[in-house]
Amino acid sequence: MKGKRKGAGRLLMALVFLFLYAPILLLIVFSFNSGNSSVVWRGFSLDWYVKLFQDRLIMESVYTTLLVSILATIISTVAGTFAAIGLFGLKRRWRSPLMTVSNIPTVNADIVTGVSMCLLFAAIFQSWGVFARWFNGVQSVVELPTRLTLGFTTLLLSHIAFDIPYVILNVSPKLRQMDKNLIDAAQDLGCTWFQAFWKVILPEIKPGVVSGALIAFTMSVDDFVISYFTAGSATSTLAMTIYGMTKKRVSPEINAVSTLLFVTVLVLLILSNVLEARQEKLARRREDALKSGAEHRPAPRPRPAPPAVTRKAWFRRAVALVSAGALCVVIAALAAATNAQPVVNVCSWGEYIDEELITQFEEETGIRVNYQTAESNETLYSLLKSGGGDYDVIVPSDYMISQLIEEDMLAPLDYSKIPNFALIDDQFKNLPYDPDNLYTVPYAWGTLGIIYNASMVDEDITSWSAMFDDKYAGQVMLINNSRDALGIALMYLGYSVNTTDEQELQEAYDLLRDASDRGVYQGKVMDEVFQVMEGGNAAIATYYAGDYLTMLENNEDLRFVIPEEGSNWFVDAMCLLKGARHPEEAHAWINFMASTDACLANLDYIWYGTANREAIEAYPAYYEELYGEELDQETFDIIQTPPEVLERCEMYLVLPKETRDLYKRLWISLGV
Amino acid sequence: MRNKSSRFAIPYVVWMALFVVAPILLMVVYAFTSAEGGFTLESFASMGLYLDVFTRSFKLALIATAICLLIGYPMAYLMAREGRRFQRLAMALIMLPMWMNFLLRTYAWMSILENNGLLNQLFRAVGLLRLLGVDHLELIRTQGAVVLGMVYNYLPFMILPIYSVIVKLDASLLEAARDLGASSLGVFRKVIFPLSLPGVLSGVTMVFVPSVSTFAISRLLGGGKQMMLGDLIEQQFLGGAYDPNLGAAIALVMMVIVVVCMAVMTHFGEGEEQAVVL
Amino acid sequence: MSKKELIRLSDCVVKFDDEIILDHLNLYINDKEFLTLLGPSGCGKTTTLRIIGGFLTPNSGDVFFDGGRINDVPPHKRQVNTVFQKYALFPHLNVFENVAFGLRIAKVSGDEVRRRVTEMLELVNLKGFEKRPISSLSGGQQQRVAIARALVNRPKVLLLDEPLGALDMRLRKDMQSELKRIQQEMGITFVYVTHDQEEALAMSDTVVVMDGGRIQQIGTPEDIYNEPKNAFVADFIGESNILDGVMRADGVVEIFNRRFQCLDGGFAPDEPVDVVIRPEDVDIVSEDQGQLKGTVTQVTFKGVHYDTIVDFYGFKWLIQTTDYCPVDSRIGIKIDPDGIHVMKKSAYSGMFGDYSSYSEEYDEIGDAGVEPGGEDSGDEE
Repeated sequence: MKGKRKGAGRLLMALVFLFLYAPILLLIVFSFNSGNSSVVWRGFSLDWYVKLFQDRLIMESVYTTLLVSILATIISTVAGTFAAIGLFGLKRRWRSPLMTVSNIPTVNADIVTGVSMCLLFAAIFQSWGVFARWFNGVQSVVELPTRLTLGFTTLLLSHIAFDIPYVILNVSPKLRQMDKNLIDAAQDLGCTWFQAFWKVILPEIKPGVVSGALIAFTMSVDDFVISYFTAGSATSTLAMTIYGMTKKRVSPEINAVSTLLFVTVLVLLILSNVLEARQEKLARRREDALKSGAEHRPAPRPRPAPPAVTRKAWFRRAVALVSAGALCVVIAALAAATNAQPVVNVCSWGEYIDEELITQFEEETGIRVNYQTAESNETLYSLLKSGGGDYDVIVPSDYMISQLIEEDMLAPLDYSKIPNFALIDDQFKNLPYDPDNLYTVPYAWGTLGIIYNASMVDEDITSWSAMFDDKYAGQVMLINNSRDALGIALMYLGYSVNTTDEQELQEAYDLLRDASDRGVYQGKVMDEVFQVMEGGNAAIATYYAGDYLTMLENNEDLRFVIPEEGSNWFVDAMCLLKGARHPEEAHAWINFMASTDACLANLDYIWYGTANREAIEAYPAYYEELYGEELDQETFDIIQTPPEVLERCEMYLVLPKETRDLYKRLWISLGV
Repeated sequence: MRNKSSRFAIPYVVWMALFVVAPILLMVVYAFTSAEGGFTLESFASMGLYLDVFTRSFKLALIATAICLLIGYPMAYLMAREGRRFQRLAMALIMLPMWMNFLLRTYAWMSILENNGLLNQLFRAVGLLRLLGVDHLELIRTQGAVVLGMVYNYLPFMILPIYSVIVKLDASLLEAARDLGASSLGVFRKVIFPLSLPGVLSGVTMVFVPSVSTFAISRLLGGGKQMMLGDLIEQQFLGGAYDPNLGAAIALVMMVIVVVCMAVMTHFGEGEEQAVVL
Repeated sequence: MSKKELIRLSDCVVKFDDEIILDHLNLYINDKEFLTLLGPSGCGKTTTLRIIGGFLTPNSGDVFFDGGRINDVPPHKRQVNTVFQKYALFPHLNVFENVAFGLRIAKVSGDEVRRRVTEMLELVNLKGFEKRPISSLSGGQQQRVAIARALVNRPKVLLLDEPLGALDMRLRKDMQSELKRIQQEMGITFVYVTHDQEEALAMSDTVVVMDGGRIQQIGTPEDIYNEPKNAFVADFIGESNILDGVMRADGVVEIFNRRFQCLDGGFAPDEPVDVVIRPEDVDIVSEDQGQLKGTVTQVTFKGVHYDTIVDFYGFKWLIQTTDYCPVDSRIGIKIDPDGIHVMKKSAYSGMFGDYSSYSEEYDEIGDAGVEPGGEDSGDEE
């Protein structure tokens, strides 16, 4: 009976482990899939591993993750150990409240820690800006930067801040267990305090320090939330990159990264387990030798067993290896930091560039491109506001550009340094968002429309009404940003997307609310739509024309339509941020991206329309040469919306503050 | 030694003032001011709008915590009764996924739960879907999926503290209980369970707090439909609606509620000792 | 005292991996007896106790209780309770609830619980401590709670595993008589484990001396002290000079080529034997009157007497005497026949009983128990 119960227990444990590991195993299996689906197996391949090592964004974020985790672990272990000793030395009356404060980051929700840190850095940057301007004003010897931004430093500081308490929590019990007289004894025997620390305290508390360091490292590697709020978007940890990607279609490169991480950790774990088991065995054997020797005959005390020496050597070697590794990383970090190569910091949208262009630009000019992505216009705005964006060039959309200009956040461009601006079609110059064309060079443009799956929808959809129809209840994906979502409702109702009429907006909201309550929407998505639509997980969604073509490559059943009521058309344009640190390089980048060659390559990669006249004219020929087949008119029309369709479309204009607030309110009420 | 080593506390006190206390104070300041800088209670006043989000967050987090406890406790208990080798292996196996980022773990579930995902395809293959007469089961973008994501991600945080308390229980206490006539069940009910309460408490905290404040899980598995407190806060800082004052106020209210919950719980648990670390 | 047999261990063997912990142990314990298992650590005494308690099943051999075989009876079904080494009190319960634990398990009614717990707390002199948390008690008080908790179930046998080990000297002395009193008041069997020979001699009806997983000797305290069966017992219990001798005839033993009168007999003619002479049984006389002559090499004042180390032909003896003899003085000694105890040679011969390496710490055999004389003993085999 006992055996049976034990069997049941084992079964339960096996089930829990299955639950924990099945999804991970799936991740691993599909990292070897030759297709990019994570559902359908299309044969074995190592492509994703090859691609992974070529993907700079992922590789850099892996590097950032490791660097910040290792540095934070080292620093917080040292600092935390001393802090624990310091707190331990205090009277109880002082120690208890201080420990409570120290533990705040461990019990607080990550998001609270992250948000409050974010606020702190914003406040520090603000005061610094005031100080630097004043300082630069009173003297001219040293020029202090006036604009500080979130980045690696703030990320590292936050990681240290939430790692230290864990180290303290692990070291303190060991200090408490330690014989208080040990240090006195050591000092009595002639040690200074620091010698006593090295020779007596440290060996005593070493297990605590080691486990503290281990937990600090685990926390750092596993963290996403705090990094997300404190790294800005110029620095990206792996978690942040993945989060950015999950909003679009996740590339199986992520599976490959997971697999590599998993295998690495697994190997390390097995190694440490084997070592530990061996040490234990040796220790036991030694004990046995001592015991049997003592018990049965008064043999001379056994000599220290030779294995003990090996063990020590092992440990030393391991320590040496780890410290050497850490040193290398630090040196590499320093080298990277002091790299004097010219740089340009660019922020754009995810998968919105042919990355070979970056390499090409770097080779041609010797300027390193620090290419980052933001999620949406609103995110970009929030990032800039909270000091998160250390950018030179950004690529916001039309209405956001107006808002940024309004708030004096953009710097005028020097068009003499952008000769390729002449290639921009007049149709894309002096648009409402930048009427005198002082700030912008168009990057790409497109339209909003309905994407639907012909195998799931019987009719040809032509109207926005499909977005509110009970017929497709549970099959529709609503777009997850206020401007587009309310815009769709406004267009269906026949109002302008730029209306400021409260009544009209309320009507649009009611329409959405009603449909939502009737269960029409399966969910709200932004770039997640790729995954959903390609996988046939929903029938209808609203999204952008260029992205439709990308989806079409993976699911031939998809169709795109610009509804008869009309739609929105938008332009994303390159701008220079005020106070940018690399204006020269920024201009070079903008000029490069406006060139015909770059526009052609980019067009072919992202399927969004280009404003470069030569490029759009040359594209059909370019396509034919590249793929050996003719570009069909339908596809071309989706890339480059024909004028008669465009006539039905309206561009978003910046709205007055009251309307923006109303949007925000309505949008949130829709969400809750 | 005491006096001499206490000087190391000074830099840490300064550090805490700057990186622990100041940020929270700042959050409080933001919560009580308007975008223009004046004192206002408007952020709190408008919070009634989000009552549903609050209740949903706490409801889902409570369910997830309860499930974690139901799975985690027996798991920890069973582990602690196995041999040393097995325990070490099991510990390693539980820690291992934590070194893969939690977003990766969440992402892994997305492709499983999709309408055309692995589970639905499996159900389709065995004819279950035809039997039920549906095209697919609604798995992803539901509250269930969010709870699943929480349980999956935070289960180790429940198992580890409970396990570490149980495994450290003095074996002679259990022998004493048996000696005094307690059956296996009696030993568990009267000795092991009450003594493992501190572990349960810290496990509950470690699961509940991240669950109630998550935004990535609800976004990825809840499909944006199941907005939680975390999403609401994130939106005010880095998302679509930039309003740090409101965000700070929500975060503050959430923090206060959580702290009160924990204080009440600790009071009931009589708080044997300090929170247990992994 | 009735002589009814209560517990019997028959041919018990316990192995851990390949190490033999108990080697074919046979032992019976009488009802209402105070029996002590005495020996150095690792001798198997705690293992024996755990077999009786039911926490350990022997690899082979049987355990009988009141005539019935109880090998497979779990601890909570045995009429035996244990006082654990470090008390094993439940930290989450107060004094009252700790004592009441067994009764609560047995679902005894509330009034009955209160009555019996109060009675037990009175027995161990802890009245008024009911509400106190365990952590606020001193070691001695915790000890008493542990005893009360074990006795409240009215077991037939109480097992005590080095219960006084953690207490200081004075407290230990008090608790010894307290335990003896409790045992007599309750009228039940105590099985007591200790490595402290003084404790064993002071409290027990029967002492079982163990070493290496075997019983070396069973007997009353007087038997054990006066008639040790081998060099191990002689050395472990009290101080002994153990010498090589040859049995020349019944009542005549030869040491250092000199014949002594003794009371022992029954050996083969000229059989080599171990001779035990307790330090207090030696009289110092003037050199010319002595049966043996030697030189004083060390004298230590001990209060009641002097510990005097005397060198006889290269073999150092410990003599306890009230007469002061300065170092380097020549003395003679006389030994009465009843001061000489002759033992058969055993595996322990030659390992103990020479005071060449005498030091102040000799009386703290304690845990080590195997150290004294080990290093410098002559190698006779």
